Amino acid sequence: MTPPPPEKRKSGNPARQAHIDETVKQQRERRRQEKLAEYNRQLAKRRRSRLTWWVVGSAAAVVVVAIVVASVVLTPRPVSYGAFDSTGATIEGVETFDNVTQHVDGTVDYPQDPPAGGPHNPVWLNCGVYSEPVPNENAVHSMEHGAVWVTIDPDRISDDQLRTLTAKLPSTYVVVSPYPGLRSPLVLSAWNAQLALDSVDDPRIPQFLEEYWRSQNVPEPNALCTGGVDGPGRL
Amino acid sequence: MSARLAWIPWVLAIVAAAALAFAVGRFTMYSATGVPTPDAVDIGFARDMQVHHEQAVQMAMIEYRRAQDDVVRSLAYDIATTQAGQRGEMYDWLVQWGVPQSGRLMSWMSDSSGHDHGGASATEADLRAAMGMATDAQVDALSAASGTEADCLFLELMIRHHEGALPMAREAIDGASIPRVTQVAQTILTGQTAELDAMRSAQLRLGCTG
Repeated sequence: MTPPPPEKRKSGNPARQAHIDETVKQQRERRRQEKLAEYNRQLAKRRRSRLTWWVVGSAAAVVVVAIVVASVVLTPRPVSYGAFDSTGATIEGVETFDNVTQHVDGTVDYPQDPPAGGPHNPVWLNCGVYSEPVPNENAVHSMEHGAVWVTIDPDRISDDQLRTLTAKLPSTYVVVSPYPGLRSPLVLSAWNAQLALDSVDDPRIPQFLEEYWRSQNVPEPNALCTGGVDGPGRL
Repeated sequence: MSARLAWIPWVLAIVAAAALAFAVGRFTMYSATGVPTPDAVDIGFARDMQVHHEQAVQMAMIEYRRAQDDVVRSLAYDIATTQAGQRGEMYDWLVQWGVPQSGRLMSWMSDSSGHDHGGASATEADLRAAMGMATDAQVDALSAASGTEADCLFLELMIRHHEGALPMAREAIDGASIPRVTQVAQTILTGQTAELDAMRSAQLRLGCTG
């Protein structure tokens, strides 16, 4: 900026000196320009303010939506490992019954053949694989403790098939025994449930075990399947 | 913004607050009720330790009837009642989690110890042996034994049985996601380690050769 001539100096402030030096017309023009600038400043401020609201508001909305979505997505799912967890899954061909538990001496005439629950001997049959038929009244007591009783027709299940079958069975809480006059080659029984099968490769065998082996719905879950009585021909 | 639309930010703010409250409610609900999802270790430990405990209860009940030595008889009583209680709790974990009691033995164990625990080729008998469990023949021998012979055989079988439980407990302590499972595994590790000491000193006292 070119300094004004020294004889006209009235202020040390060059901006003020410039105002002093202005004509009236110049002063009006300057004030008009100042008002316009102020107006434009206010306009820009309002625009900035609105933009800030949009940015902040959208960001807040995104964050809130994300938190809600996370709270739903991250909720632990109810555990589900298929339907076969003793909660009443329907496996094709399984019959269920309403036998009642009771200790009795002597033989019992069971409504199911092989028996699938009902009155039984005070002593349970030790779980395991048997080469000879086992007493019904003791085997029923084992099922009362949660065992699965696998009965086979030895005329229709070969030794090889029996090995295939036993390899699929748990090492505990299972009785395997031949059963004279069995209505199908293979019958799986648990307390108040039964499944007749033709083949040791039937996919329903693991399903039946998942649903009924050591079920919490037996009268005495968790009682042992050892320490009872051995039947003849225990292997 | 004109005065007539001034209510819009307020409504949006209230909606956002309600949504946040909903989310906070959901988060606190499942952290407060503490329902972590059981993992493969929780489930495998709950299943296999039941199988393991079951045989301990069986052998301890046999020994309780046949023991000659009062200290060993008390130990057998202690083992049978403790482990029957523990396996009842494990049974109920699986019931509460809604998973089957059945599953392949040792499939949850890592192979850090070098054994082929969950190998597809291993038979159920192999897996039980790896868990330190007695064979049927050994249990039958215990049932047939009497006197100090029974006490010594019981100690021998139960020491190996306990030694099989320790790696399972350690694995559960490392890998379980349910706090109570970790806690019970720690209890088993501590309790059975102490019982191992007691059984080894009983072996010395009775002059067992095993």
